Amino acid sequence: MTHDLNIPGSQSTPAIQADWQAGSLCMQGDSYPENSYELFNQVIGWTERFLADATHPLTLQLELVYLNTSSVKAMMDIFDLLEEAHLDGREVRVIWRFDDRNERIGELAEEFREDCTFDFAITPMRVSV
Amino acid sequence: MTGSGGDAPLLADIAELLEHPDYQDHPLHAALAELYRRHLEQEMRVERLVAIADGFQRTAQEDLHATRHELQRQLRRQRKITHIADRYQALLGERNEALLGESHHDALTGLANRRLMHEYLEQLLAAKQRHHRPFTVAMIDIDHFKRINDQHGHAVGDQALVLLTEALQDALRTNDLCGRWGGEEFLVILPETTLEQAEPLMSRLCQCMRQLDIHYQGIHLNLTASMGVAEHRTRESIEQTLQRADKALLQAKREGRDRWLAAS
Repeated sequence: MTHDLNIPGSQSTPAIQADWQAGSLCMQGDSYPENSYELFNQVIGWTERFLADATHPLTLQLELVYLNTSSVKAMMDIFDLLEEAHLDGREVRVIWRFDDRNERIGELAEEFREDCTFDFAITPMRVSV
Repeated sequence: MTGSGGDAPLLADIAELLEHPDYQDHPLHAALAELYRRHLEQEMRVERLVAIADGFQRTAQEDLHATRHELQRQLRRQRKITHIADRYQALLGERNEALLGESHHDALTGLANRRLMHEYLEQLLAAKQRHHRPFTVAMIDIDHFKRINDQHGHAVGDQALVLLTEALQDALRTNDLCGRWGGEEFLVILPETTLEQAEPLMSRLCQCMRQLDIHYQGIHLNLTASMGVAEHRTRESIEQTLQRADKALLQAKREGRDRWLAAS
């Protein structure tokens, strides 16, 4: 059984890749899924298993653009898991990249970061059109 | 701390009396000794009971505190989620508006594009059918515009279009809509306007083009425009009205340009 996730993105769901060996979880795109519970349950489940069973560091790489309410909640659940692990001494971090033409996305990432004490970088990037 | 703190001296007295060698054979001694023993036992039971009850209460208190704390945390989290979600929604709204703007306007001049003009014409057609409100359209073509592009390049041509667009819009009334129909062709839509009422406006537009003095990067340009005007006729389609305006425009060109003609 594989420990990795590879969920292709769609117009309303982000592309998701989870690599157990590399300790990396990546998400890109818009997120307003019809069934956000089903989608994010896989991600939250993977993260919980990783934090429970693995010992190496975890890096979350996000390039999320639009999030609907349930996706916002799911992301906050994931950050809560990371925060808990961080307080337990685990090495976790988040890198949130956003299109530098859309600073508002960066501001929203900052809102997420507010309650987190682990390493949480918010980086503008130049997107070629 | 005993439950009957005030009784302590009395109990000490009784204990002393019961211990006293002189009273060992007293007829009340056995009864008092039994009563004393039962009293102490009762007192201990009450104390244990109180301790247990206190324990329960403390646990309940702690639970209540924890629940209250958790509730506060959840409320705070919920507020945060709502706040972030609201901001995302605002963002989406703006994105939609921008897309709508782009889909309705010409990128160079910012004028209405064909799509928006068609939407407006459909509205006017409906208003005419319901309330018999007239409307008139004018097709405008800048004379010899190709020469400007050929002689000075497209950058100058584009700049001229932007400037003459501003002049056109300044000359129009608030509810008139000026749109870019093609390269150097514009459509002006005049709501609540008959052909007769449009005439002074057409003369003014021709005049305004003639007077336009374009200075750009050391180049000096003068322009004129030809225009064809048509009032929408009852039972006529929008396309037919536009075709009549177009025909009048062609006729204005044939008659020497720099003029407007009413469609027949």
